[in-house]
Amino acid sequence: MADSDKPENADKEPKSMQGSSEEQPPEPREDATAPNPKLEPTEQDEPEEAARRDAPLVADGHSGHDSHGHGLAHTMPIWMLVSVLAALMGLTILTVSVTSFDLGSQGNLVVAMVIATIKAALVVTFFMHLFWDKKFHLILFMTALLFVVLFLAMSITDRGEYQRNIDLYQSTTSTTPSK
Amino acid sequence: MSESTSQSATTAAQKGGHGAPAPAHGGHDAHGAHGGHGGPHLAHHFDTYQQQFDAGKLGIWLFLLTEVLFFSGLFCAYTVYRGMHPEVFVYAHYFLNTTMGAINTCVLLISSLTAAWSVRNAQLAQRKLLVLNIVITIACACTFMVVKFFEYEHKFHDGLLPGPAFHPTEQVWELESFKHKHPEAAEYAEKLTKAAEEKDKAKAAPVAVAAGSTVAPETGVFEKPTEEQIEPLIKAGVIGPMAEDPTRPSKPRNAHVFFGIYFFMTGLHGIHVLGGIGVFIWLLLRANKGEFGPKYFGPIDYAALYWHLVDLIWIYLFPLLYLIH
Amino acid sequence: MASPSATADVVAPRSSSSDNYLTHDKGVLSWIFTLDHKRIGVMYLCSVLFAFALGGLFALLVRTELLSPGHTIMDHDTYNQMFTLHGAIMVFLVIIPGIPAALGNIIMPLQLGAKDVAFPRMNLASYHLWIVGALFMLSSLAINAVDTGWTFYTPYSTTTSTAVVPAAFGAFILGFSSIFTGLNFIVTMHKMRPPGMTWFRLPLFCWALYSTALIQVLATPVIGITLLMMIIERTVHIGIFDPTLGGDPVLFQHFFWFYSHPAVYIMIVPAFGVIGEIIPVFSRKRIFGYKFIAISSLAIAFLGFLVWGHHMFVSGQSVLAGTIFSAITFLIAIPTAIKVFNWITTMYKGVIHLDTPMLYALAFLWVFTIGGLTGVFLAVMSVDVHLHDTYFVVAHFHYVMMGGAITAFMGGLHYWWPKFTGKMYPEKAGRIGATLVFLGLNVTFFPQFILGSRGMPRRYYNYLPEFQPLHVLSTLGAYTLGIGFLLTAFYLWKSLKNGKTAAANPWGGATLEWQCSSPPPYYNFHKAPVVSAGPYDGYENLMYDEAIGGYIPRKSSSST
Repeated sequence: MADSDKPENADKEPKSMQGSSEEQPPEPREDATAPNPKLEPTEQDEPEEAARRDAPLVADGHSGHDSHGHGLAHTMPIWMLVSVLAALMGLTILTVSVTSFDLGSQGNLVVAMVIATIKAALVVTFFMHLFWDKKFHLILFMTALLFVVLFLAMSITDRGEYQRNIDLYQSTTSTTPSK
Repeated sequence: MSESTSQSATTAAQKGGHGAPAPAHGGHDAHGAHGGHGGPHLAHHFDTYQQQFDAGKLGIWLFLLTEVLFFSGLFCAYTVYRGMHPEVFVYAHYFLNTTMGAINTCVLLISSLTAAWSVRNAQLAQRKLLVLNIVITIACACTFMVVKFFEYEHKFHDGLLPGPAFHPTEQVWELESFKHKHPEAAEYAEKLTKAAEEKDKAKAAPVAVAAGSTVAPETGVFEKPTEEQIEPLIKAGVIGPMAEDPTRPSKPRNAHVFFGIYFFMTGLHGIHVLGGIGVFIWLLLRANKGEFGPKYFGPIDYAALYWHLVDLIWIYLFPLLYLIH
Repeated sequence: MASPSATADVVAPRSSSSDNYLTHDKGVLSWIFTLDHKRIGVMYLCSVLFAFALGGLFALLVRTELLSPGHTIMDHDTYNQMFTLHGAIMVFLVIIPGIPAALGNIIMPLQLGAKDVAFPRMNLASYHLWIVGALFMLSSLAINAVDTGWTFYTPYSTTTSTAVVPAAFGAFILGFSSIFTGLNFIVTMHKMRPPGMTWFRLPLFCWALYSTALIQVLATPVIGITLLMMIIERTVHIGIFDPTLGGDPVLFQHFFWFYSHPAVYIMIVPAFGVIGEIIPVFSRKRIFGYKFIAISSLAIAFLGFLVWGHHMFVSGQSVLAGTIFSAITFLIAIPTAIKVFNWITTMYKGVIHLDTPMLYALAFLWVFTIGGLTGVFLAVMSVDVHLHDTYFVVAHFHYVMMGGAITAFMGGLHYWWPKFTGKMYPEKAGRIGATLVFLGLNVTFFPQFILGSRGMPRRYYNYLPEFQPLHVLSTLGAYTLGIGFLLTAFYLWKSLKNGKTAAANPWGGATLEWQCSSPPPYYNFHKAPVVSAGPYDGYENLMYDEAIGGYIPRKSSSST
């Protein structure tokens, strides 16, 4: 598990400062006046927007490095955004309608949590962009969840173990707050 | 710190001394709104826009982790109490308005879409769309808070407050939601209550007891209760071993704990929503001025990530609080 | 074989009248609103040392009260307040921010070869939050000082009439200060390393700070929510921790220790980092087992999250949970021991220079080993049942916190003093101070092991007369410790005016912070260094120059 805490690129060649996932030799700095491969949008843009985009920001000499070549980071296509929302809405409707069925004392809770987790996974993967992000962010997120699970698991296990004592206490005293 | 940057000589010459006069931008995001060294919106301690963006991305993800762990304590308290006292949770959920909860869920999901969309707009420098999407995000967030406000108002009105302030004005079996789901149980509870009241009256004025209306302590003149009549009441702690009052239908012991947890969790979540609204308003002002483009859209991205986390937490809160069966 | 860092400044201007970060901007506002990590670190340093003096004052009051059973100088309620304040101030205001925020802020970007941390404004915010948190905590002092013990256990904390809410809220805010520091450090180390600075060329101090930062980010939010829950419980009575309302006080302890155990690793792991810097330099020998030490920091950080229940063996926690926690606690001894063995092996066949930083480092090795081992004793459940809440525990954690964290802090302070002040402290006085501190700390706390194993409970105002001789001895040690620290403060303060001007590299270190002038310029480095060697390589290429009182590269070295 210590591995998930390990920083990325632990043993690789000297990294450049950009934190790029590509390997680069340790030169002092990239030439800032190198032509900047154009950042093409994936769709038509209003002319004024395009003109503003071409306006001279100082070129950083560093082309977009992600696999889609869209500048600093991947751009979400609209169809993807809308489909994810549709899926989320659908799952919400599903969650609510499932409550009209009785699936046993724990069944409903389990189903609700499973659906919630699917929704959460959709939000994290697509809306939060984790699918296209550095692996390290995913590792960090999973680590946090792992610790939450650890925390909950130990507390609940422990509480379950000493519940007997609490039941004894409660059955022998009045525990209602003043009315 | 300009001349010491490790930019190559050409850019150093471009920039000159301590930096060209920075365009006057409001806003103090963590990545430096004052430009003039490496370019507009490139903070002086970063060398490239990519580095600045990546650093900010890692930073916001770490911050989101802290938020996850922050809420984890409350989820832990919830889990422990629900595990040990399921009847309290069953009892309490009848008082919540599932429809309002569902509306809030949908509203937040839509706002998540517009937040993610706004990142795209910023990347493509689509200023008008960006502004529109941020406006919709803020509007959805405000809708959420308004609905929440009404829910809270109902609770105050109905005496459903945490701790010693918990004095529900209605009995659970008198609620529409309960009657709708468990009509026989509701009726049965009414009958039991009336019977218990009559008993009290009889105790107070034993002479005035009329034949036929008295009932024996527990069983009385009723037939043995059916599953439908009794099970929902036991599950909700209204009668049975978890109930407060053994002589008549009441509420489960420590029923207020649910509402304590409810207000704490939704309240803390609401504070985060308010924080998000504030951030988005600030970004709206900056977006309107056209600050964001393909080289600099970090703040929109990070705020959207924060917003998605707020949505994520609600995705779990909704079934846990509103959809208890 | 290459000399460290070919392209950066090597011999820096000696005169401190040349522009450096201290002289770059003038005026109080330039400090309050600074974005320079070095200035922020210096402000933290001053604040933390002030809080240390305050916490130390409370400690001396506690120890004075314990000179005799029953009333000595205060009544029992006041006594409870004294030890609570001592603990709360030391834990939240001094040791947790201590090395990372004060020394780390100044040194880490320099060691990295970066211009600043990733988020300078967040860094400043972290400092201001410390101030606000400290004010809240001290306001509790002014109103009716909290008396619950620094652990704020329910149900006492939710029912006592003392000012718990300001103190707890202060701790809550300090948590954010800590989170911001940790977050900043993680991103800085990931994103702002210069060319050639691979992960395994990072100085061990950076590795330690990185591991600490991970803990800060993951654990601190939990104390945040815990304190918030406790405050709400106290004010609104929602019934989470109160048994009469259906609550569970042991749950509070689970929540509290889930942070507070990793918190002790926030305290000690940076100390390990400092020791890892001092020992190779003052042994003139490369560190032994660099990778093992680096990874062990991460291992300790991770394992630290799995053992919180060892504070709760007698709380009502189930035996099952206790067994699990006890077993995992034993495991933490392993990476810790790896470090200690590696440091000792580093010194073997080295050329030891017994300057003040090294004295503190050697003291650390002795004192921390005792503290760490006694921790393992306490990890054994059957033993802990007898030793819990006795002075044995008090002695254990003071050995690791005072003997570990504070000793390393002192060592680091002296090691880097020339760097960030541009002045040398007087070496003889330094050695006397270090000796007094070492003596004082052992005389104070070793008797407490004996007291505890003979049954003296902790946080007790009154005690049986048979314990008095050891208590008196312990108090004498405390006064010695106090004198040692006062002496240290005095000569350090004087050195700011009268100290010899420091060279860029007075100790002959090979890490990057020694490549810039003392004090460093505002912008850290003229050109970003290109790193081609490890942080502990190349001592043989440095030679001492009497004229400047520091090390310079050997002229005969052929590499450039």
